[in-house]
Amino acid sequence: MTDFDEALTVFAAEVGPDGPVCVRGGGTRWSLGGEAAPDTREVRAPAGIVAFEPAEMTVRVRAGTPVVALHEELAAAGQRTALPERAGGTVGGALMAGESSIARLGRGPVRDALLQARYVCADGRIASAGAGTVKNVSGFDLCRLLVGSLGTLGLVGEVLVRTFPVGKSERWVRLAGTDPGAVRSCHTAASVLWDGTDVWTLLSGYEVDVDEDLGRLGACEEVDGPPELPLHRWTCTPAEATAFDVRNGTAGRFVAEIGVGVVHASEPQPSRPVEPGVAELNRRFKERFDPTGRLNPGRDPLRRP
Amino acid sequence: MSRTLVAATRRVLGSRRRGDRAAASPPAGAGDAALVADLVEAIGSDRVRADTASRYLASRDASIYREGNAGPVCYPGSTSDVVACVQVAARHGRAVSPRGAGTGLAGGAAPLGQPVVLAMTRMDKLLGVDLDNGVAWVQPGMVNLDLSRALAPHGVHYAPDPSSQAACTIGGNVANNSGGPHCLAYGVTSAHVVAVEVVLSDGSVVTLGDLTAEPAGYDLRGAFVGSEGMCGIATAVAVRLTRNPPAVRTMLLCFDDVSDAAATVSAIIAAGIVPAAIEMMDQRCVTAVEDFAQAGYPKDAAAVLLVEVDGPAGGVAIASEKVAGIARRNQAISVRTAADEDERARLWKGRKSAFGAVANVMPDYYLHDTVVPRTRLVEVLERIYEIVDRYDLIVLNVFHAGDGNLHPILAYDSRVPGTDERVHAAGREIIEMSLDMGGALTGEHGIGVEKREHMNRMFSAVDLDQQSRLRASFDPHCRMNPGKVLPSAHSCSDIGALRAADAAGVWG
Amino acid sequence: MHLGLDDDELVACVSCGLCLPHCPTFVITGSDTESPRGRIALMRAVQNEGAPVTEDLIRSMETCVQCRGCETACPSAVPFGHLMEGTRAALADAGRITPRWQRLALRMLRHRRLLLAGSTLLALAIRLRLVPTKRLGLPARMPLRRPRLRTSGDDVWLFTGCVMDAWQRDVHLAVQRVLEAAGAGVEPTGGVAPCCGALHIHAGLESETKAMARQVMAGLSGDDRPILVDAAGCGASLKDYGHLLGTDEARAFSDRVYDVHEWLAERLDELQSRRPVAPLKLTVAVQDPCHLRHVQRAHHAVPAVLLPFVAEVVALDDDGLCCGAGGAYSVMEPELSRAIRERKTAAVVRSGASVVASANPGCSLHLAAAGLEVRHPLELVDQALSASRS
Repeated sequence: MTDFDEALTVFAAEVGPDGPVCVRGGGTRWSLGGEAAPDTREVRAPAGIVAFEPAEMTVRVRAGTPVVALHEELAAAGQRTALPERAGGTVGGALMAGESSIARLGRGPVRDALLQARYVCADGRIASAGAGTVKNVSGFDLCRLLVGSLGTLGLVGEVLVRTFPVGKSERWVRLAGTDPGAVRSCHTAASVLWDGTDVWTLLSGYEVDVDEDLGRLGACEEVDGPPELPLHRWTCTPAEATAFDVRNGTAGRFVAEIGVGVVHASEPQPSRPVEPGVAELNRRFKERFDPTGRLNPGRDPLRRP
Repeated sequence: MSRTLVAATRRVLGSRRRGDRAAASPPAGAGDAALVADLVEAIGSDRVRADTASRYLASRDASIYREGNAGPVCYPGSTSDVVACVQVAARHGRAVSPRGAGTGLAGGAAPLGQPVVLAMTRMDKLLGVDLDNGVAWVQPGMVNLDLSRALAPHGVHYAPDPSSQAACTIGGNVANNSGGPHCLAYGVTSAHVVAVEVVLSDGSVVTLGDLTAEPAGYDLRGAFVGSEGMCGIATAVAVRLTRNPPAVRTMLLCFDDVSDAAATVSAIIAAGIVPAAIEMMDQRCVTAVEDFAQAGYPKDAAAVLLVEVDGPAGGVAIASEKVAGIARRNQAISVRTAADEDERARLWKGRKSAFGAVANVMPDYYLHDTVVPRTRLVEVLERIYEIVDRYDLIVLNVFHAGDGNLHPILAYDSRVPGTDERVHAAGREIIEMSLDMGGALTGEHGIGVEKREHMNRMFSAVDLDQQSRLRASFDPHCRMNPGKVLPSAHSCSDIGALRAADAAGVWG
Repeated sequence: MHLGLDDDELVACVSCGLCLPHCPTFVITGSDTESPRGRIALMRAVQNEGAPVTEDLIRSMETCVQCRGCETACPSAVPFGHLMEGTRAALADAGRITPRWQRLALRMLRHRRLLLAGSTLLALAIRLRLVPTKRLGLPARMPLRRPRLRTSGDDVWLFTGCVMDAWQRDVHLAVQRVLEAAGAGVEPTGGVAPCCGALHIHAGLESETKAMARQVMAGLSGDDRPILVDAAGCGASLKDYGHLLGTDEARAFSDRVYDVHEWLAERLDELQSRRPVAPLKLTVAVQDPCHLRHVQRAHHAVPAVLLPFVAEVVALDDDGLCCGAGGAYSVMEPELSRAIRERKTAAVVRSGASVVASANPGCSLHLAAAGLEVRHPLELVDQALSASRS
């Protein structure tokens, strides 16, 4: 239960019991929720895969491991995780940012991917949340609380992440001049993107099913991957994403994730109002988990677009 | 004259009406008169019951835990009723324990310390179906199966399907982060709850999560789901709708040896196949359910696997062929595919009535819910049979094999002296064995009161301290369903005090 | 207080809760006190834990409709009906339920002439609008005259019973015509077997019920003729004599009892072979009486018999949930009874049917009082047969 990996112990010692501290991963989403406060000590989480169990569909990995490197390892067994691949982005960073990949429709959100987390608490001790199995409801769900918390409640050192088999056949196609409804009948669509004019979709599954969906789509062009995504990430309801073009006056060029509610746009999303009761709860969580405010000061998940 | 007859009839019948009887009923929990009066004033007399029978029954759930002790029982009809009850309880210094259908298996709904019990059963409406956003808003008292039935015309369903789905409520599912056979592929309740309207212990109402892809702030929705009523009371839930799969194939695989069945499960997962469900029942369990369900389960097989594959038709055909092949390589004696929806329904009915059918074997059962690595099922099952034999007990194994979630049912007769002790000792060994294998204490039933003291075996003091911080962030004063989940040293409330209040019992 | 319940039957409930959605009172109140599981827990508390028999505990028992929908839903086959009958018997013996006026009223059912005369008086009072029929759940119109029962042969008995014979003799006659069309000579039981005792056992009057059972058995002894019953409640009661009296003779008697649809379903060919029949142009919703569905478990026979004679037969989508009639329940617990009925009428409306077929007089009166068009299934069959005859 408390036999922690040595790398984790070293990480905890580095974090220590006091003083403002933040963790740098790949820095791909470094400004999410605010910039790190000045005079904040920067540490790095350990890296490396601890154990990959393909037959269990889980992987134990240190938070500093790049997602791309992890996925390369998993691909040997035909598996992957739900974490998004960003150049240089780490497992810990992806979990703390909590942003799902553009194939969330098929691969699920990041928030459902974390099975167990070993993290350094505000007082410098190591805590373990969740369990080493694919299913667990023992106690309160700290794992879900940690995902998307931007490292403000605890600093994650090692995690157990759910893996799943990659589709036997995966093909990106583009449908020119149509709306997302065109893809509705496809059962293998793992991603549906729409820029107001064209639709891109990732079909993923058994070859026979992917081929059948291709047949259903009719005229379409096979492409290497998704379109280039505009810089800013908006989050909205699925219905709003589907109707995005009619109200995108401020968004500029956009690519909407249909069925999910994320929209990539060239302009940043205006700040969203937060219910006062929710803001108060967020404050209470931060205060309880990090009474001195030393973990990733300057960042606030409420300020995430 | 007509009026006279009515009056006469009333006189005769009237003496039997509830009102007169209730007046004759002794006010239960004599010190509660003021509390009850305030509750009645807040939400109306037809929504408050303080009699002993109501309190006695609201003190228990489907577990064997019998030490619960309910105060007045309220049946709110709206969020504002819930707010009013929480406020009245707070004013009287009393805790609040929510309750759904009371089908929980860990004593989570067994109230401790005579709290005001909020039975959510009358808040059972489907508030709205929002197909554009892929969600439905439901009240917490809605029965799980009623929800899926109501959604059927839209070609969608609510995926988590606990075995008790015909009776259990969505609110209870949220409290326990309930699973079910189909959670293997679709994920447990937390993956299907998008937002929850919650009444907090101070009577304020907040909505945790929203319909957007990635709500701002901490994932409070995720933290709330599975909190066993200790963080607040859900009054409306936005659940995710799952499109009905275009094809479904349900297979019954029968084995002469339990180990062969377990090996088949591990092999299916290892082959990279994720069926919608893989359920296992051993012979004793099959025997107990078959008479009721008439599903055609073979009573002579040592174990059966119920495997369901769904998705687009082509993949379903390929995957089910592969599953059948793996089963045959693992010495399956028969592989049967449900021919139609009726046969499929009967197979599932058999599986889902397993707990309730235990009394066909023995009148009492004690159930564990540990999860073990699914690659170690063969070994784990052998150990369970060995432990149970050693304690001279009977076990029925029925479980979500695909995700390693065991449900060893220790069936016994508590009227036989000394049995309870053996059952608990065997249960403890099963838990320790599961945890030693790298497992978890509970996969879907929750900790409640029953498994509370085992939490120390799975978590360190630091871990539990972190969990209690989560709870305290929602409910700093520990007024919601106190005394559950966390072992006494980590619970912010004084469990000793709760106990003292409970010593008298409902019948006083 | 010892309720005299069999301990093995009593402990057979594991409190799983699968009965809850099948209990008509639980779905209304949402309280465990109005649930099968809760009632059993209270019985246990009284019998095994020495809990006092409080008024609210008695209410919990009295609010049970005794529909036994929980029995078919129970994976452990808990004999709830027997437990509830035993509990009520113990409570009645102790004078805690079923007051004297009620016992007197029930006793009248055994006296056929008195009952028939009383019914005629009541019918008259209703015509003169002296009785608030709606409030009391009585039919808006009752027959002032009853056509005579007649014997057409000795192939089968047709059990005519008490209230049904007094209030709905037309149904018996229609049933008899259908049986005759199927080639059977029918002898109505009439005064030979006055009352089955179903209402009495519901009220906890066990010894009285036993006496009535012996009376019925004596009246119908002397041959092996099948005893056909067109009222589901009576059929269930007659079929339970074996258990009630526990004698070989009673068991043999119960084996002779059939719901009339059950018997006809085996003889559909005879019924249809005589002449071509044009189906009535009606969409009929079949309401399964609890005592046919949950107790006799013979409800599948009703749509089978009905199907050739009407345009369409539709099933209700409420899993056979009780309609709230429950013998005298609608009179004793009018509020709950009506609330339960509202769910049934909503199911009928959803079904789109214009007529409800009910094989139990209690249910049919109760549903008709809510404004539904209710017929006995065999009345419809008789109508179709007679239409093609003319």
